[in-house]
Amino acid sequence: MSPRRSLRARLRADWPLLVMTAPAALILLVFHYVPTLGNVIAFQDYNPFEGNNPLEAFVHSDWIGFGNFETLFQDSAFWDAVRNTLSITLFQLVFFFPLPIVLAILLNSVASPKLRSFIQGVVYLPHFFSWVLVITFFVQMLGGAGLLAQEMRRHSIHEWNIMTNPHAFLVLVTSEAVWKDVGWGTIVFLAALAAIDPTLYEAAAVDGAGKGRRLWHITLPGLRPVIVLLLILRLGDALSVGFEQYILQREAVGRQAAEVLDTFVYYQAIIPQQWGVGAAAGLFKAVVGLVLVLTANKVAHMLGEQGVYAKG
Amino acid sequence: MSQPPADAATSRRGFLTAVGLGAAAAVGGGAVAGCGRRTTSQGAATNADEVFAVLPKYTAIELLKPDIPGEGAIPNGYLRYPAQLGQAIPTKAGSNGTVVKTMSAYWGPTPPGLGRNSFLDAINAELGVTVNPSVQDGNGYADKLSAILGARDVPDLLSAPSWEIDKIPRFSQAVKALFADLTSFLKGDAIDAYPMLGTLPTAAWQYAVWGGRIAAVPFPSDGPFPWALFYRKDLADKAGVAAPATIDELYHFGKTMTDPGRGVWAFGNVFDMVQMFFKCPHAKGGWRKKAGGGLEFKYEIPEYRQALEFTARLYSDGFVHPDIVASKGGDAAQLFNAGKMIAYEDGLGAWRGTQSEQTKVTPGFNMQPMPIFSAVGGQPLAWGGAEPIFYTFVKRGLGKDRTEELLRVLNWCAAPFGCREYELGSYGVEGKHFTRAADNSPIPTDLGRREVAGQYTSLGGRVPAVVGTADVPTFVQDLLGYLRTTIKFLEPDLFAGIKLELPANYSRVLVPTEDRINDVLRGRRPIGDLQHIVDEWRATGGDEGRAFLEKTLANNGR
Repeated sequence: MSPRRSLRARLRADWPLLVMTAPAALILLVFHYVPTLGNVIAFQDYNPFEGNNPLEAFVHSDWIGFGNFETLFQDSAFWDAVRNTLSITLFQLVFFFPLPIVLAILLNSVASPKLRSFIQGVVYLPHFFSWVLVITFFVQMLGGAGLLAQEMRRHSIHEWNIMTNPHAFLVLVTSEAVWKDVGWGTIVFLAALAAIDPTLYEAAAVDGAGKGRRLWHITLPGLRPVIVLLLILRLGDALSVGFEQYILQREAVGRQAAEVLDTFVYYQAIIPQQWGVGAAAGLFKAVVGLVLVLTANKVAHMLGEQGVYAKG
Repeated sequence: MSQPPADAATSRRGFLTAVGLGAAAAVGGGAVAGCGRRTTSQGAATNADEVFAVLPKYTAIELLKPDIPGEGAIPNGYLRYPAQLGQAIPTKAGSNGTVVKTMSAYWGPTPPGLGRNSFLDAINAELGVTVNPSVQDGNGYADKLSAILGARDVPDLLSAPSWEIDKIPRFSQAVKALFADLTSFLKGDAIDAYPMLGTLPTAAWQYAVWGGRIAAVPFPSDGPFPWALFYRKDLADKAGVAAPATIDELYHFGKTMTDPGRGVWAFGNVFDMVQMFFKCPHAKGGWRKKAGGGLEFKYEIPEYRQALEFTARLYSDGFVHPDIVASKGGDAAQLFNAGKMIAYEDGLGAWRGTQSEQTKVTPGFNMQPMPIFSAVGGQPLAWGGAEPIFYTFVKRGLGKDRTEELLRVLNWCAAPFGCREYELGSYGVEGKHFTRAADNSPIPTDLGRREVAGQYTSLGGRVPAVVGTADVPTFVQDLLGYLRTTIKFLEPDLFAGIKLELPANYSRVLVPTEDRINDVLRGRRPIGDLQHIVDEWRATGGDEGRAFLEKTLANNGR
């Protein structure tokens, strides 16, 4: 290590870098760190109409200890939401997470660059559609008055309506997510694939390794750090599965199937103005997420991976 | 899928243990049980005589003689549009062109905003102030209201539908913290400074009192009924089906009119109307006096269960349009207009606009409300009340001059039918936003339809009037006929004249409970779950609401 320079010297040397990061740091501070202080209302009977301004409302609201958590944990709807959220996360971990990897490997094996960028364009596009559009599209295709149902009726087949079936909801939302985002998900993996040294493949081919062997011994190990990194980050987000997708379809299949934590907070806390309970739910989500990330990272370190950050 | 609340505590522990937080669950669980205190919740009621003490003086106005005079809750009817219109308000509301931000609900496409809307420019020029309206989708208005109230970020003038206010806990505290006390400006003779506001009926002003002070300007209802069951009479006639007069005929109507092969289903949302047919009560959401004393809520009575069973059958037998099943009813009007859905419930306010617009698109289009009937014997029951449709609140802390200016704007908006201001506010500028039919009545142009979205008319109520126009030639007779037949069956309001601010816990459980009942309605939960849902409702706020309302009635000697 080089000897420590004075603060002034470092400032003089690095100021362009500091200026460049300042806006991002400011955004982080204003929109992430300052609002974190608002978590105090999880322990308050927060009444936004106390005092003369929102800040006084914080000060004047009653402290009620863990009352909000008590309300939350005794609400069966909350546990429904936790269960739905976790089922969706687990289901998508198995049926969605690997798909971009497979697609990236397939894309990587397409030789013609023209054809490859065409396919990439096609599979990236749905990512830029809003959820409203995606779900409208699915309803128009698969809904009770949609194309498929009309066609089935025409042929006197008893139509089945997947859009309003709570039991098929898990498959439905995962299909929608795959349709929308599988292409977008390949980007990181394609970058990782590009970083694999091509001479490794050549050497392996010379040594007589077939396609399967090369995939197993070169491609997948090359992707492993990225896969582990994304897996850990996904685990940290285990209790967030999105919002619009669920709020838009909640009416169709009902609260019991479609209520996830984020829509729970919206319907049970923001709409009825139970701000304290909403904050408690948010805090619960954050703490669970943090624990999951740290645990997964620890496991990654134990397996010799780098994880989210290098071991200190 | 459902999980009884009794299991919640154990499954919480189980869950935390599963994610490796066993210790936290043990410690946290103790703390949770030990030092937690639940959020508070109180209701408040202003007794009828206290409300009476602050009301503004009423001054009748009659710019034109009605052809069919109104009576009680039934508005005046005018069969013809007047040839000459006078000016009702001689002075401008303001002079320095200051910007007034407003927010109001509208059930239709969002109009262009200030700067891109010639209708706003025309009226702002007339007012002398620049009203900058934010027009929000009426179906999602409660969400928007919750957000801006919680953030204490309200516009200068805020219009709020009365039925949304009951869903907002602590609304009375919000009123105190965020909105101006208008008592000194409007009480008694003081209202003479705003003569048009003085023409609004006293019955409407009674509801605009919060905590013993006038907090809002009411938008009086032009008919006491919240819902009507509309149907496409033209299509039903073609199919040879008459308007149902019994509940079995309603079912039969559904069966006959549904034809999925042609993409046609009989019903949209009809549950409120079915409850009405089964004579469920509606006072303050659904309360009625019990035979042995005390109050009972509609959830608790057998009629409600019957109504639920009947409507659930409409869903399970496939008589409800799949798009309605799959959404909250946002596209109902569109499906109805296209003939894809034959009947649905809507406010009577939807009638005129739809009929006028669709007559142009579909020749013979005929939208009519079904006459109401009783499914459980005796006379039918009609839900209704004198509660205003909207309230308009003025932001607090703007100072006396500014508040007076805003009240002058509301005064302008309250100019009744029969004067130039009314025409301008409702239709815009002649030749631009509307043209005149042979009988003088305004016919909106395409520009008018696009730009006019109640930006001013929703802010201030007017003396209710129904006016015949050439685009809907039989409307006045049809509407007044329906009102007259139905008003005989109007449910008496238990709480008339008492200003109620419901306990927070009671307001809070309304929407989640409706959600659960919706699951039963759509066949996602068995009808047997109703008892469980109602028990949960009682425990989490229903009984608190009952106790509060019973006490209020006792205090008022009823």
